[in-house]
Parts: sequence; C-alpha cells; structure tokens
Amino acid sequence: MNKELIFQMAHASIIDCDEDKAMQVIKDAQDNNIDLVELLSMGFSSGIRELGDQFGRGEIFLPELIFSTEVMKKASAVIEEKLGSDNVQKKAKMVIGTVAGDVHDIGKGIVCSLVKSNGVEVYDLGREVPALTFIEKAEEYQVDFIGSSALLTTTMTEQKKIEDILRKEGLRDKYKTMVGGAPVTKRWAEKIGADAYCEDAAESVKMVMQWIEQGGK
Amino acid sequence: MGKDLLIKTLKHEKTDGVPWVPFAGVHAGKLKGYTAEEVLKDADKLFESLMEVKKIYAPDGMPIMFDLQVEAEILGCDLLWAKDNPPSVKSHPCSGEKSIPCNCKIPTADSGRIPMIVDVMKRMKAAVGEEVALYGLICGPFTLASHLRGSEIFMDMIKDPAYVKELVEFCGEVACKLSEIYIEAGMDVIAVVDPLVSQISPKHFESMLSDSFKATFDFIREKGALSSFFVCGNATRQIKVMCDTNPDSISVDENVNLHDSKLVTDPYNITIGGNIPLTTTMLHGNQQDNMKCVIDLMDSLDHHNLIISPGCDMPYDTPIENTVAVAQAVKRTDDARKMIENYESVEEDIDISIPDYKDRDKVLIELFLLDPEQCAACTYMLNSVVDIYDEIKEMADYVVYKYTIKEDIARTKKMGISNLPTMCVNGEVKWVSIIPSKEEFINEIKKYIKKK
Repeated sequence: MNKELIFQMAHASIIDCDEDKAMQVIKDAQDNNIDLVELLSMGFSSGIRELGDQFGRGEIFLPELIFSTEVMKKASAVIEEKLGSDNVQKKAKMVIGTVAGDVHDIGKGIVCSLVKSNGVEVYDLGREVPALTFIEKAEEYQVDFIGSSALLTTTMTEQKKIEDILRKEGLRDKYKTMVGGAPVTKRWAEKIGADAYCEDAAESVKMVMQWIEQGGK
Repeated sequence: MGKDLLIKTLKHEKTDGVPWVPFAGVHAGKLKGYTAEEVLKDADKLFESLMEVKKIYAPDGMPIMFDLQVEAEILGCDLLWAKDNPPSVKSHPCSGEKSIPCNCKIPTADSGRIPMIVDVMKRMKAAVGEEVALYGLICGPFTLASHLRGSEIFMDMIKDPAYVKELVEFCGEVACKLSEIYIEAGMDVIAVVDPLVSQISPKHFESMLSDSFKATFDFIREKGALSSFFVCGNATRQIKVMCDTNPDSISVDENVNLHDSKLVTDPYNITIGGNIPLTTTMLHGNQQDNMKCVIDLMDSLDHHNLIISPGCDMPYDTPIENTVAVAQAVKRTDDARKMIENYESVEEDIDISIPDYKDRDKVLIELFLLDPEQCAACTYMLNSVVDIYDEIKEMADYVVYKYTIKEDIARTKKMGISNLPTMCVNGEVKWVSIIPSKEEFINEIKKYIKKK
C-alpha cells in the first residue's frame, strides 16, 4: 500500500465520519512504515480542512461536522500516544472561550476542536469567561492567539473589554485576537479593534493557519 | 386592517396590504423600563409592556412571550437569567445518559410559568384581541430536545438516530400540549420556534424530525388555530422540508434570502414572513436604514402570502424609534419612500431660523413627527400635548413639524434630531419615541418656567 493511498484513506475516513476506518488507516500506516506525523497533517488534517470548507459552504451540517471532529480527535490522540505527545510539535497556542454572561458553547466547541485538529494547542476556558481571565490565561499559557465567542447582543461588549484590557496593559501587540458568534460581525470586530472576525469554524481555522504562516504575532 | 389582515394572510386570501408583526419579546420590557427577567416572570409587568407594544408599534399581530426556555425549565433544565435577554439553558437533564423523560412530566396548565403566561394571554385577548392577532410561542421539538440532551444530540443524530427520533417525539407531545393550553387561552396563532433546525441537513430533518413537526401543525389546525414555523440562522436549504410539514406560515431571519425562499414557499401556498436584520439594521441602524430596509424588502417581493417582521426576537435595546420607522414603512410604504427621498434631497442650508427660546414669554414645545396621521407613536406623542393643552396654554405654546415637509426636515436636521417622534422643550430634546405621562410632562414645563 503506497503512501498516497494511505493518505487518501485517512482523508476519506474523516469525510465519511468513519472512526473504524481511521483506526485501520493508522495501523496500515505503521505496517508500511509511514511517518505518523505526516499521516496526521497530510491525511487526517487535510480531511478535516475539506470538511470545514464544506460546512462553510452549507454542504454539510453541524452533526456531521461534530462527529467528524470527534473522529479526528481520536485519530490525533492515538497518533500522539504512539509517538509520545512531545514528538508531535504544536504549531501555535491559543486560548478560547465564551464570554461572561453567555452559556452558549456549541460553536466555540467546534472551533476549538477544528483548530486543535490542525495542530494548534488550544486551551478551552469554557463558558461565562470574564474578559480579564482571557488575558490572565493567555499570559499564563504563553499563547499566540485569543478567541472569544458571544452569542448574545448584550454579551458582545465583553469582547470589547478584552481589547480594552489588552490595550490598557500594553499587551495588544503580543496577541492576535479573533471574535465570533451569531450577532458578531466584521464591522463589530473593526469597531472594537479585534484582529479578525470569523463567521464560522472553517474561517477560524483558516485565519489561525494564515497567522501561523505569517509568523504568528 | 389589523388582525383581519393578518388572519387573511395566514389563510392565504387576497389582501390589500401586508401585515406587520413586531417580535417584541424582552424588548417589550424596555418600553416600560422593565428588565427581561421582570417581563418574563411578572404577569402585570408583561401585560403592561405588551399594551405599550400595541400602542406604539400598531401591530397586526404580536407574540405574548418570546422565551424558548419555558418548557425546558419545567422539564428540569437550570436557567441562567439576564437583564436584557431571555434566559439561557445551562444544564441538560438528559446529558450523559440517554433517557426519555417520563410522560408524567409533560407540562400541564399548572406547570412552571404557564399559569402566568396564560393569565397574560387572557388579559391581552380581552384588551386587544379584537384588533390584534395574538401569537402563542412554543419551543420547537428539536430545540427542546437539545435543551434536554445538550450538544450530544448532534452526535446522537449520527450514532443513534432512533434515540433522537424518540426524544423529539416526546418533545412533539410537549409542543402539542402547550399549543392546546395556549389556544384555549385565546391565541390565534401558535408559532413553533425552532432555531436549531437550520443546523442540520434536510435529510436528518426528514428522517428524525418531520413526523413530530407535522403532528404538531396538524394538531394546531385540528384545534382551530393557525400556525407558524419560526427558524433562525441560514435555513435556506431547510425551507422545502419545513414546508413539507405543512405549517400555515414560515418565518425566517436575515440569513435567508426572503425573495428566493418565497419562490419555494409559494408553490406550497405557505405564507412567509421576515426578515428585517436584527442587529445591523434594527439595533445599530437609524430610522432611515430601517425604512429603506422595509421598502427594499417590499419592493422585491410579491405581497401575496407575505408578512413583514423582524428576523427573530428583537434585541432588548432596539431603539424604539427604529421600530416606529419600520411600522410606518410597512403601513405607509409610499409615504416612507417619499420621506427617505426628501431626507436625502433636503439641503442643510434651507433657511431655517431657530426660535430665541430665552426671549419668549411662554415655553415652546416642539414636536418632530414622522406623520401624525399614520404613525401611532407620533399620534400618541401629539395627543399627549393636545389633550392637556387647555391646562398649559397660559405657560406654553406648541408647534408640530412633519417629516413629510422639506422645510420641516431641514429644521429636524438643523436641530440635530436624528430620531422621530421627538419632543423638545425650549430647544432641548426631552422625549424620543417615549410618550410622557401628563404629570411628567407638566412638571417638565414648570421647570422651564422656573428657569426663566
């Protein structure tokens, strides 16, 4: 079995939301002495990227995306376990959370999983996270990116607080910030001074990848 | 007009106008200075707020309560309350363990907040039920199922569709029971509000949800009421399968192209409603933006089987004057078109002299109105002065400026007034869209007399 075929099968296992197939591909890759890190980035991650694009175009929906993300998480965990997690180098670090006063976290959870699936170390701060906590945790974990989600018109103001605190503390240039959530718009991101507005999980991944390519901060 | 227009539209009859249904949920509380939590828990405050919605926004139809968490709360979900939003569900009783709640938990007329809601429904029916069609809102079976199960329900849809179907069927029974209670309380229309439907594929909708939605709409019809299927988010791909469940109408938000969706609903002879953008236009736009949005919508659509409404539950802080502008544009579209044209064409340099308030013997009340004959809020603001004029005529004069007259628009601009109706006292803005009480109004006039 050649490398390209195995990568294609890994890609397909994510698109088809097929966990058994994903586990079999990892075994086949090992049997054929294929680098598992390469399998993760060229096979599984390529599948999750395509799925993210399909979601962005409205061709697949939330259940399929969530399920495939779970398959991806399991494949990543198995590979990391086989290699020892230290050998799977993370490309960047990010904190993410739903802002204070807001308990909606489905969208944030998906962004978290998808970004993680693309080799970024993600610290999920959960929901109802105060603005200051985003910054304290960003400092503590020495991250590159801060992502916040707000699903209510009234909690969007917390995203502004994050920007205000960063500016006040002289930390604004240290991090890239992204904002998302149903009522959030590009105009809002510009108004509060966030670096990016991401409409959905796929856009969030693209933005993070773009920042990494550009050298992060 | 009014209720009759909306009922005819929902029955797909020919009409000579387009009905207007403001989804003033928690926003109703803003009109009377109450928080979201207050209007969602206190019958008197909710009733008072809804009466203000009727008065200011002149609706053809209106919801009594826009809170999709009523059923979830009864079924054991913990809620997080907010001052300016409906509550959110923060715990899910079926999370972690796949279970179906016992049928003994299906709400009754005595459960949770239902007695309070029914009380307000009956009071509203008695007070305005002849003029305005009243909407009873229930949580749709899929969104209720997600409240009970949490986000695990999306995984279940792939791994265990039979469980999802069973849970949604239970929620469908809850929907029928709530519909029955609300219809008996006098509701003309039952709106089945299911925002999450936009998040799943049409195939999943058909295999796991369709039967429960269809049963709910059939039940509502059997009970003699009309129905509406509300969805939020980009539901473009779901409109067809939603139509297949046979509601009388569908309501969509700004993520859906209303023109294209009407091409799908029209062959089914289903009425469609929507979809003024909630945040960019209603919350953050100005009056001209809101009028223009409605005019553009109405110009782009066949008016048969059409309702104009906000995309979904209006944000609490939606400026009252923006909603007034929407009402004006729906009811007097040609006048609103003219107002915008005038607004855009009026030059700032039309010669307008601002009165010398300090040298006047009497206090000057200036009313800047859209159209006192047609705009309900404007009429009430004007009447608040006219009705007590005999009592104040020794100390004050009043003058009316209309947005239909170019010179008056120029004056409106020169005075720096951006929203109508507005009332100024001696050149100072005192009330925007809010109608002062007699006592408040007279006290304000007296303050100016003391200043002289």
